[in-house]
Amino acid sequence: MPTEYALSNVWVGLGIVGILFAIFYYVGYMASRKTVSDEDFYAAGFSIGPVTNGLGMAATWASLATFLGVIALILRLQVPFVYLWIQWAISIPLLTLLYGTSLRRMKAFTPATFIRQRYGKTSTIVIVCWMILIMVMYALGQMIGLGRAFELLFGVPYNTAIIVAGLATVGFITIGGMYGASYNAAFQMVVMTIAMIVPMGAIMKAMGSSGWWFPPLAYGDMVPDMIKSIPTFFDMKYDYRWYFSLIPAFTLGPIALPHLAMKVFTASSVKSARWAVVWFALFLGLLFSGTYVVGFAGNFFTATTGKVIAKADQTILILNVFYNPTLVAAFVMGGAVAAGLSTIGGNLMAIAGLVGSDLLGIIAPNMKSSKKMRWGYAALAIGGLLAILMAFSPPKFLVTSILWAFGLLATTATPAILLGVWWKEANKLALIISSLFCGFLYILISPHVFPSIVVGKGLVAALGMSGGMVTIPLSFAMFILMSIAFNRMAVFKAYTPTLADKKVIDRIHGWGTEYEETRYNGITTPIIISIICMGIFCWGLVPWT
Amino acid sequence: MKEKLYKKEITLTLIFSVLLLLMGHSASIFVLFPSLQQGSLWGFPIQYILPILLGWFGIAAVCLVMAIVCNKFDDEMESYVNSLPPITENQTQNETETLT
Repeated sequence: MPTEYALSNVWVGLGIVGILFAIFYYVGYMASRKTVSDEDFYAAGFSIGPVTNGLGMAATWASLATFLGVIALILRLQVPFVYLWIQWAISIPLLTLLYGTSLRRMKAFTPATFIRQRYGKTSTIVIVCWMILIMVMYALGQMIGLGRAFELLFGVPYNTAIIVAGLATVGFITIGGMYGASYNAAFQMVVMTIAMIVPMGAIMKAMGSSGWWFPPLAYGDMVPDMIKSIPTFFDMKYDYRWYFSLIPAFTLGPIALPHLAMKVFTASSVKSARWAVVWFALFLGLLFSGTYVVGFAGNFFTATTGKVIAKADQTILILNVFYNPTLVAAFVMGGAVAAGLSTIGGNLMAIAGLVGSDLLGIIAPNMKSSKKMRWGYAALAIGGLLAILMAFSPPKFLVTSILWAFGLLATTATPAILLGVWWKEANKLALIISSLFCGFLYILISPHVFPSIVVGKGLVAALGMSGGMVTIPLSFAMFILMSIAFNRMAVFKAYTPTLADKKVIDRIHGWGTEYEETRYNGITTPIIISIICMGIFCWGLVPWT
Repeated sequence: MKEKLYKKEITLTLIFSVLLLLMGHSASIFVLFPSLQQGSLWGFPIQYILPILLGWFGIAAVCLVMAIVCNKFDDEMESYVNSLPPITENQTQNETETLT
């Protein structure tokens, strides 16, 4: 008989979630007292220390999916999905290395702040629109997940759950601004790590493992039984191209996620941002390894007990209800809720920054700091309310897997940021054309809009891995080659990078007022990169098996 | 000096990018070279546990070295920038004219 999740005492769950929300509101209220300018609101006054920031970065990255969807996919795909998940951990380190510290140096609020200085208004509108679309998809997915979690936990109808959970969430995020989002995210990371790891120790002990004292890495003694029950569990299953396609879609996409970049920008200094990344890698590694062991245990549970998990995304909850007391099971649900809230917090802060600071900065460039802050609060609250409203009856194209949206971001925004930071020849018209053309091409060749026009099939197409392997290298190559061409054509002189645009690059790399024309300005390396990109593009077009 | 600093910045960025990619995508090495899928560590098949370890402690180690080396590089860059003569009013004026 299929096993489903049901908490035997709803009041225990209500009590735990109530206590967590009380803490979030208290942190939000304390944070609001520190928020007096736009720098405080969007970047926590550039004051967050490395440990808090590392915890906050990890919490913002780990979403509700870490507790629900990922474990379901490990149950379905087994080990290859573990490999897919491992590589997320390099996103923030790469982001910090490739542009995070440079943009922190210029005191940017979002990556679009840099786009505006480097490429001008039209390019900013294009990039901000793509980023807002992806942030809305992200926040909506989390909001729906949160509604479902409340529905599951308290047995209330979905619509009631979404109103209560949504308003309660948007409330504390709006009150706290980035200070509140940072401190709450740090606390949420602690809650979710304990909720993921500690109860697993008891579950592993009940399953007969001697490694219960350290669940993330000590379940090796369960491997022989696992291989006996599911001989293919550790098989790598796919060819090399499947694994390579993780790089364009899932490594290059998240490095342009504005809510992740904004965490780097809140650091108290460039050096502090780098130390925060070390803590991030340690904290996230611990949580992710917990996710892998839950996925492993879920497979082990079904294989050794003969029970069927009816809804795979409830695996962690079912295991806890089956093996642990009600209080522990409710706390695990609280951990999942915390994971969702930290991500929604980051998403809404990013929407507020993109609208309240970047778009408004174009319309009213001379607005006072205090007024910008008020607009930020308004953008945050409105963004949250829209996410709640959309969650009632979400448009189908917006609830596509967020993993698919990473490929869209890698296609449209990553080349703009990376080439903008590292290459003076990057041309604003080339950016607009390549971003729009390749972005719409990515949507077109996905199975979500026109199912008859698809590159790849099955899961690789649905997650955007095959589509991304076509459009992401094409976007880089088009941007580079068109930039070189346009900069040498008199007719496009208006779009050629000005001296002021180029000076931004030297300045954010730390050269101060010293300017050198030849620095970050060659064309040989970019041409080589575009040739490699065209090779990958062709490889992506070869039929997928 | 500035040429040396520039080259060092590019080299460090390239090295750390490659190292991070290797740590995050080490599983693909086992697909590329299937003969490496032999042996076990702590009871797990090597192709399972090694990518997990590299994706956790490997990335943390690279980030640690990156923080130390890049922060030291920032100090070098800062001392170079501080050693430059201050910009005079004339230079600022010329610059403004060029920009406009």
